[in-house]
Amino acid sequence: MSQTAASPAPHTTQAPPAVTAEDLTKVYGSGGSEVRALDGVSVAFARGAFTAIMGPSGSGKSTLMHCLAGLDTATSGSVHLGRTDITRLRDRQLTLLRRDRIGFVFQSFNLLPMLTAEQNILLPAQIARRRVDRERFDRIVDVVGLRPRLSHLPSKLSGGQQQRVAVARALLHAPEVVYADEPTGNLDSRSGAEVLAFLRDSARDLRQTVVMVTHDPVAASYADRVVFLRDGRLVDDIADPTAESVLDRLVKLES
Amino acid sequence: MLRTTLAGLRLHKGRLVTTALAIALGVMFVSGTLVFTDTLRAGFSAQVMGSADRLDAVVLPEDGAEEGLAPDTLDRVRDLPEVAAAGGVIRGDSPLLDAEGRAVGQVPTAGLSADEVTRFTAAEGALPEAADEVALATTVAETAGFGVGDTVTVLDSEGAEREFTVSGLVDFGVDQEIAFRGAVVYTPETAAEVTGSDRYSEIGVVGAEGVPAERVAEAVGAAVDGGRAMTGAEFGAERAEQAGAQADVLATALLLFALISVFVAAIVIYNTFAILVAQRQREMALLRCVGALRGQVFRGVLLEAAVIGLMASAAGVLAGIGAGYAAAEFGGEALGSGSADLSLVVTPTAVAVGLAVGTGMAVLAALLPARRATRVPPLAALRTSAVAAGMEKGTGWIRAAAGAVLLAASAAITAFAVRGSVGEMALAVVSVAAMLAFLGVVVIGPLLVRGAVAVLGTVLRRTGVAGMLATDNARRSPKRAATAMIALTVGATLISGYSVVSATTEATMTDMLERQFPVDYGLMAQFGEDERGVPEEVAAALREDPAIATVMAERRDTARVAGADGPVPVVAYPGAEVGVDITSDVAAGDLADIGPGRIAVTEGYAQGRGVGDTLELETAEGARGYEIAAVVVDMQQLMGVTMDPADFADAYPDVRESSAVYVRGADDASPAQLRDAVYDAVAGHPTVQVQSMAEMRDQFDQILDTAFLTIAAMLGLAILIAVFGIANTMALSVLERTRESALLRALGLTGGQLRRMLALEAVLLCLTGALVGIGLGVVFGWAATEAALPSAIFTLPAARIAAFIAAAVLAGLLASALPARRAARTSISGTLASE
Repeated sequence: MSQTAASPAPHTTQAPPAVTAEDLTKVYGSGGSEVRALDGVSVAFARGAFTAIMGPSGSGKSTLMHCLAGLDTATSGSVHLGRTDITRLRDRQLTLLRRDRIGFVFQSFNLLPMLTAEQNILLPAQIARRRVDRERFDRIVDVVGLRPRLSHLPSKLSGGQQQRVAVARALLHAPEVVYADEPTGNLDSRSGAEVLAFLRDSARDLRQTVVMVTHDPVAASYADRVVFLRDGRLVDDIADPTAESVLDRLVKLES
Repeated sequence: MLRTTLAGLRLHKGRLVTTALAIALGVMFVSGTLVFTDTLRAGFSAQVMGSADRLDAVVLPEDGAEEGLAPDTLDRVRDLPEVAAAGGVIRGDSPLLDAEGRAVGQVPTAGLSADEVTRFTAAEGALPEAADEVALATTVAETAGFGVGDTVTVLDSEGAEREFTVSGLVDFGVDQEIAFRGAVVYTPETAAEVTGSDRYSEIGVVGAEGVPAERVAEAVGAAVDGGRAMTGAEFGAERAEQAGAQADVLATALLLFALISVFVAAIVIYNTFAILVAQRQREMALLRCVGALRGQVFRGVLLEAAVIGLMASAAGVLAGIGAGYAAAEFGGEALGSGSADLSLVVTPTAVAVGLAVGTGMAVLAALLPARRATRVPPLAALRTSAVAAGMEKGTGWIRAAAGAVLLAASAAITAFAVRGSVGEMALAVVSVAAMLAFLGVVVIGPLLVRGAVAVLGTVLRRTGVAGMLATDNARRSPKRAATAMIALTVGATLISGYSVVSATTEATMTDMLERQFPVDYGLMAQFGEDERGVPEEVAAALREDPAIATVMAERRDTARVAGADGPVPVVAYPGAEVGVDITSDVAAGDLADIGPGRIAVTEGYAQGRGVGDTLELETAEGARGYEIAAVVVDMQQLMGVTMDPADFADAYPDVRESSAVYVRGADDASPAQLRDAVYDAVAGHPTVQVQSMAEMRDQFDQILDTAFLTIAAMLGLAILIAVFGIANTMALSVLERTRESALLRALGLTGGQLRRMLALEAVLLCLTGALVGIGLGVVFGWAATEAALPSAIFTLPAARIAAFIAAAVLAGLLASALPARRAARTSISGTLASE
């Protein structure tokens, strides 16, 4: 599982993975109406790598991300973030873990409408009462090109700009892992490409672990590695994907 | 459309619970008041009719005849063939003494007679049968602490003490005069002896066997002079009507407060519908897309309001019936309905009014939101953006200008009224100004919310992320927040306005007593004994006592002054130095200049005359002119004309006794010594009333406090409804912001922080509403007292206002409790995954 051959960092293979899931199962409902959204998924995500999770609708990819991020609780199995077994944490500890060690980018509704772009970026730090690393903030803001928009409310920003704000927010406190759930789902292709390139660059330049759920082969091709899910099971895993190779696998999966 | 509306209601019923509760509470107050007063009225008349029904006919003195029926009237009635038996009621004064030998009450107790034909019945024990027995009214027995079997002392018309044994207690129920004075019931002979009266205030008649009551009344009416006869039933009906009038006054007062509650509930409903229409924009647009006409959408919203209004009103009417009955049961006795068993009276009117008020108010309040719903373009259904994600548009300068005009108009009117240039209309004018100011606040409400939140928020932001988010949230929909806030402002304005009036009155009174008239005890005769005053020997005895430093008498009569309506009081204070011992604020001149031929007069009676002018008085000894030495401010200690004692004795030689005597203790006398000295002086004069000024002040404070608590309780419901409104606004906002809450939780906000954020937002709203209300209340409470009482001493009831602020914070916490719980419990992944 730790074959991340495409990783640009030479010692990635020796480092322990950032996140590991062990035999993860999630069952909704019970008895006859039972739905197994995840069925024994084991997967590890290497530190500093950009991984995409793909699969057709209903394959369980969003559920997997929610369980990995501690937003949802698994029925059985375990998830480790670093050395922490997050499946054993209580709500409060999970909240603190999300706050301090994880970053999020959602498909839509990422920003609080009453806060400016800058306030949105700084929000997690404020919730955690963390000191803000101004240097890192400046660097990130410059990289995402948001400097002139910092004082704007989200309603005055384009969709791509909103997502870039969300990415900047996720990266600011250098979390152990950033989860992105269809981050380009609502964007036009040009804005989507900007956001994806930025996610990829930050994984490389900032040595940031990124896990992204998507159903778009082009988006997945930005990743270092793609894992495929169907019916709650991990069915394929490719490194150094291209849009063509991903599409090829998807077609096979669908058939 | 009806089906869609009803299905929508079923789906959203959770959102409407608090609205329904607000309507139900308002309706409960209205119906409860009606049921309460109807039940009370029925109780009064049952009681009155019950006692009057035993008689076939009743004779009363003709209206305006002070004297009562002549003594031979009873015999003439008894001699009639249609009459089997008759009994007269002698009514006079017979002061009852309490255990310490002092006359009870400020008015002498009534002395009544009862023989075998009477409408009085003993509630306990029996009516007097022997010459040494009496029955007491239950009210006076309670205040003086007497029971059946006790020995009591009364003063007869000569002032001599007589002892009797209490044989029973009589409940006089709704008889207001007896309730105030108390009564002692004697056998007819004793009554005549004790009261010195042989005239009848009332004759009760039992007709002969087989003669109908109407014929008895007719025959009796023909036989008596100077009296009017009626049947027992007619008499009962007449008295029941008088009692009912009392209930009507009560009903009017209560309905006024009910109206305030209903008004506040209407604001709450308006806000709920405005929010719901905004939230369901896509729903409305979809309806328009599938072909619903504007009118159908409009009627749909109104129908929704009508259905909720009707259901909530029905619940409110039921609750009102319960509340009204409970109030009649527990409060009825205090209002004189006596021990009579009350039976619940629910008139169709009480039910219909409740339903109509609740439903009508709901529909009216929904009119504007319904109109707004028709403006939703069908295209809105296709937009994907979250409905309320954007901020409300800014409030324009038109709004600010309109608000400023209203407030300026209000300020101008208030200034005009406070200057005292509107005379007796002052209070009404101040009320109009207050209404204008309230309207102004409604208009600039959204701006006010922004401002207030910005100010309060600077403090809150420092408290952490929850405070920061709460401040931002509170400013998101200023219109919505303003409406929720204004519902609370109504109650807060009224209650703080009243407490300013109350505190100012109290301070003004205290100042009048302490500064203008510093005495320890006041002695006066019981009312109703016009010719009697405080005997000169009492004043003499007081002057002798070393514990007493100053003895001031007050002699008073009246004079006619050309140009003044009615008689003008003329007062002299022998033994007092006017301007030192008793004083008023002086408009012109000097009180020390009062002396022979020189008087002080109030501004009102001076009619423009100044110091040095002559005032012509028509005294008991004819017209006399006096030079004005001082003009004093109206409505303070000195009233009418104050003159030199020698001038007074000259002008009113018949006034020999003092209407009152005031004493001030010596500096070295203890309160107990002073008290003993005063009581020793009046020992031989049981009817002289002794008033301790300290006690009087306490009583006065107590009355004001009771009035405040009563009014606060009445307004409490309106405030409760407003808090429901704020809770509802919070709940709807939370619903709208589910995704935001989930996002915040995903970013690491703990459940506690989320709850705190919502609690702070609700507290911000409540505080703003309360502070605006307190501001209005203080200003107009000040204006009202300033306009009505020229020498008012403005007093800010700081403790009470602090309590209101604390209550507002508490209300905010309460209002946010349920919505916050729901927000903190929502599953994060579920919310984020949807859509």
